[in-house]
Amino acid sequence: MAVSETYTDPTAAQNGSGDPVIVATGVEKWYGTFHVLKGVDLTVNKGEVVVVMGPSGSGKSTFIRTFNALETYQKGSIVIDGVKISHDLKDIESIRREVGMVFQQFNLFPHLTVLKNVTLAPIWVRHWNKAKAEEEAMRLLERVGILEQAKKFPGQLSGGQQQRVAIARALAMKPKVMLFDEPTSALDPEMVREVLDVMRGLADEGMTMVVVTHEVGFAREVADRVVLMDGGVLVEDAKPEAFFNNPQEERSKKFLSQIL
Amino acid sequence: MTTTTPDKVASAPPKSSGPGPAEWLKENLFSSWFNTLLTIVVVAVLAIAFWSLLSWAFTSAQWQVIPNNLGLFMTGLYPRDMHWRIWTLFGVVLALAGVSWGTLTRNAASLMTRPMLIGLGIAIAALIIIPALPRPEDAPAFLITPFAAAILIGLIAVAVAAAYIARSVTQKSPGIAQWLPLAWFLSYIVALWLIGGGLGIEEVRSNDWGGLVLTLLLAVTGIALCFPIGVILALGRRSDLPIVRGLSVAYIELVRGTPLIAILFMGQVMIPLFLPEGLRPDRIIRAVIALTLFSSAYLAENVRAGLQSVPRGQTEAAVSLGLNKPLTVAFIVLPQALKIAIPAIVGQFISLFQDTTLLATLGLIELLGISQSVLANPSYLGRYAEVYLFIGVIYWFFCYAMSLGSRRIEEQFNTGH
Amino acid sequence: MTSSPSEKKGSFLRDERFWKLAFQVITLAVVGTILFILATNLTRNMARQGINFGFSFLENSSGFSVGETLLNLERQDPYLKVLVVGLINSVRAIAVAIALTTIVGILAGVASFSDNWLVYKISRAYVGLIRNIPLLLQLFFWYFAVFSKVPAPEDQLNLGLVIANKRGVYLPGPSLSDSNWFGLVLLVLSLLLGGLLWKLVSDVMRPHLDTTGLAKRVVTGLVAVVVGLAELWLIVRGVGYLVDGSAEGFNLGHGAWLPVIALALVLAVVMWRWRIKEIVEHGISDKAKTLGISMWVFVGLALVLLAFGLGWQTPTAGDNGGAAGGLRLSVEYAAAVTALVFYTGAFIAEIVRGGIQSVSKGQWEAARSLGLPSDMAMRLVVFPQALRVIIPPLNSEYMNLTKNSSLAFAVGYPELYSVANTTYNQTGRPVEVFLILIGTYLLLCLLISVTMNQLNSAVQLKER
Repeated sequence: MAVSETYTDPTAAQNGSGDPVIVATGVEKWYGTFHVLKGVDLTVNKGEVVVVMGPSGSGKSTFIRTFNALETYQKGSIVIDGVKISHDLKDIESIRREVGMVFQQFNLFPHLTVLKNVTLAPIWVRHWNKAKAEEEAMRLLERVGILEQAKKFPGQLSGGQQQRVAIARALAMKPKVMLFDEPTSALDPEMVREVLDVMRGLADEGMTMVVVTHEVGFAREVADRVVLMDGGVLVEDAKPEAFFNNPQEERSKKFLSQIL
Repeated sequence: MTTTTPDKVASAPPKSSGPGPAEWLKENLFSSWFNTLLTIVVVAVLAIAFWSLLSWAFTSAQWQVIPNNLGLFMTGLYPRDMHWRIWTLFGVVLALAGVSWGTLTRNAASLMTRPMLIGLGIAIAALIIIPALPRPEDAPAFLITPFAAAILIGLIAVAVAAAYIARSVTQKSPGIAQWLPLAWFLSYIVALWLIGGGLGIEEVRSNDWGGLVLTLLLAVTGIALCFPIGVILALGRRSDLPIVRGLSVAYIELVRGTPLIAILFMGQVMIPLFLPEGLRPDRIIRAVIALTLFSSAYLAENVRAGLQSVPRGQTEAAVSLGLNKPLTVAFIVLPQALKIAIPAIVGQFISLFQDTTLLATLGLIELLGISQSVLANPSYLGRYAEVYLFIGVIYWFFCYAMSLGSRRIEEQFNTGH
Repeated sequence: MTSSPSEKKGSFLRDERFWKLAFQVITLAVVGTILFILATNLTRNMARQGINFGFSFLENSSGFSVGETLLNLERQDPYLKVLVVGLINSVRAIAVAIALTTIVGILAGVASFSDNWLVYKISRAYVGLIRNIPLLLQLFFWYFAVFSKVPAPEDQLNLGLVIANKRGVYLPGPSLSDSNWFGLVLLVLSLLLGGLLWKLVSDVMRPHLDTTGLAKRVVTGLVAVVVGLAELWLIVRGVGYLVDGSAEGFNLGHGAWLPVIALALVLAVVMWRWRIKEIVEHGISDKAKTLGISMWVFVGLALVLLAFGLGWQTPTAGDNGGAAGGLRLSVEYAAAVTALVFYTGAFIAEIVRGGIQSVSKGQWEAARSLGLPSDMAMRLVVFPQALRVIIPPLNSEYMNLTKNSSLAFAVGYPELYSVANTTYNQTGRPVEVFLILIGTYLLLCLLISVTMNQLNSAVQLKER
């Protein structure tokens, strides 16, 4: 189950294994009368890194938030690792266990130490004993490079450090998929790199990732596919080189001309 | 009755500390002709006020009413030969307070701040000096008997010792600290047993409970009961289930639109009407029920304000980790909401403590009620100012202590930057 | 590993919609059952005591007199009138206490920013002392230890403008009859109802984008019509009592000037709002200047009438004790208002202090850098923003004062709770009396709250 064990061959990660982990078909969502998602299809295979780009208000955040049922959808279907997201409580719980999420605003629990932030869910959701959870947490904190901050509270850390804790916290549940919702947008420029490096490491290890970001460099280097959303529709789905060098759609060209 | 938020006298704007007394005076009292005039007028008014207060206190005021009735003020009609039970209770509470203080300050540089040490010194000195002063005629003592003073000094020593021990113990093994709430709960049971009797010691009818002891008992019980109800109501009001939310809102708004005295009075009259025939709870219980029903609505609003200030991202993060709703509320949302709401919650507790006075108008002889009975005694006719000043100081002391405590707890929980 | 979407028939027991519904049904059932049991016990107990639920007893003759009333209350008058007298007494105390406590609170709040160390300390000491002592104790102190200590009429306290004796405190005041004062109370109530009416009307007038609001708008409109009629009735009756001071025919007393003053003040407020709108839209134009001048004309008119139209009198001491003329306040009333004013004032002081602190220095500097003169910056930028923070908690303090006014019964002031209490003692009808009591207080609190909220939204509007 641990990602590092599953994947050793980087080329496999590059291509994806062909096992679909996320299958979204015709997803539609309304906020009142506002049509946010207008029938979006997306399949993410095991080990794939998919970067979702798009102008603000395009529905990209809403879309990936439907993958762990933070947002409901009204039409279509989303199947995560063989389990369909419905109103079924048990299914939702099991999906949330398997899907890790990293937020733009970190959303660390300010009243708990870094260590407790990371161990809370494994202890209460996975029912690990405290010693095991802490051992695993220390391993993850070491990996994201903030082992020495374990006893501090989130408020005492920098933004970049907080976001790395947030990644460790999500990883502690040993998820099959990681969702990143603009993980570097709230960071000062000098801290973006340290977070992206951690994400790059994760991708190298073969973690299945869906990343909403504006970081073109990251998308070029790490992504297996880049997807452009605009106005609640998935406009283009292509390999990074193809997307950035030779976009097919008019809206992609316009978007790229704005951000590049 | 009214939501009190602990005052923030301590966070006063910084006043210059560098310059000498002359500059200080010029800067803060005589900086302009207007300020000078203001200072002169205010000093004159204050001087007259203090002079008349002092001359009243030392010449026309007749203070015997206080020492002569000290037992009544403290315990009401509680039988004199059972006062040892109240003393024991006081000792238990003081010791536990010492333990709590020691635990709370285990990470602080020292157990007591300088003002606290000075205050403690003054208290002990007063307890030694006052009983030795010449007592007025027909009074058993001047304010306090040597016997009571000796017990008090002993109890203070116990509390301080408990604080030191608790501090050193919890510094080594902080895990023990989590048993404190349980200890307080047990002490409450012990308190009920000591006051009410039964189980091996003689029973004391609730009609004889009174004075400060009854005031504190009512306040503590009300606080302990209204807190969980208030939290549940607040969660209900923030719920996305329309019926649950509607019921919570209806209750909260109905109670908050009604004067406390109406609720207390009708609690005395109507609670028996709403119960099956023959079931007539003790009037202290009826008072506690009414106080609780009232305060929980206000507390709910304080907690709701705290809940609202917890960002939505906190819930989302917890839920994405797979925590279910009850766990999310218990581990993530409530702790943060309550922390934010501490000043308002303590303010509500202070209000509830003050609100117990209204029961005096319904015949309960808590501190204000017993004062009214003392004042009705022909030998103390017209001693209103003396008695009201005395019990005013008592109320002030407890309210002020609560707001100080709230600040200390806030500091303890402060995990931010 | 790969599997098709789980199409297994999920049990409804696992559906969150089911649980949401079930939880609400259970809650409703539990609350309903408890209420049902309580109601059953209540009807059984009432039947056993031979009481039938109903409000017809209100028409029975009460047979008790009330110490203080603006209406001619006779012993044979019905309970309903007694309760109205209590309500009027409550409103009389509440309105005066709210006006005075606002002044005390603002003064104490502003004083806490004083450069003068003594003034600052006194303000803080006042807040720290008053808020930590129970209101009832303070009320007893004022009544028993201060106001009841005034001497008998024979050797009364004569301070020139103020005379105090056991019968009351005599202040300089306008010479208005009891029914004039009653008319004034009605106008105060109409002011509160006006806040509600204002809200309802602006709800109806608000442009809606969809048609679903139509039904709501019609209902609101109907309510507005009812409230408007009540408002009209209050104003007509109030003005009637003010104009026709005595029962002896059409007799224009001093009270007749009060409606004129009220009208002038209303017009001044209208001019003020209009002027601000004009300034915001067109800058300081000639029209704005004209409006400013006419606003001050109306204010001036009101002040002149207040000073000279009401026949102000100072109390005069009689030859062998006693006092006449001026405004007589009963000792109970004076003690109750004093206690309420000082107690609530301490809370308002903290609110004002917090409000002023909340307006950042940057706002002030930004306003000045836009070229606004400093008084305009204060009035148009800093003050409205402070008000926005101050008004909501002030609103709840006013409601607290309203509810706390019921404590005045403890010193014998015959306000609503006091007469309701007597009514209960005489009729043995706790449920009906309780319903009337909480209904009235709820209504008062609602009216205050709505009026203050309207005021708040008016203040916020000015920011644009």
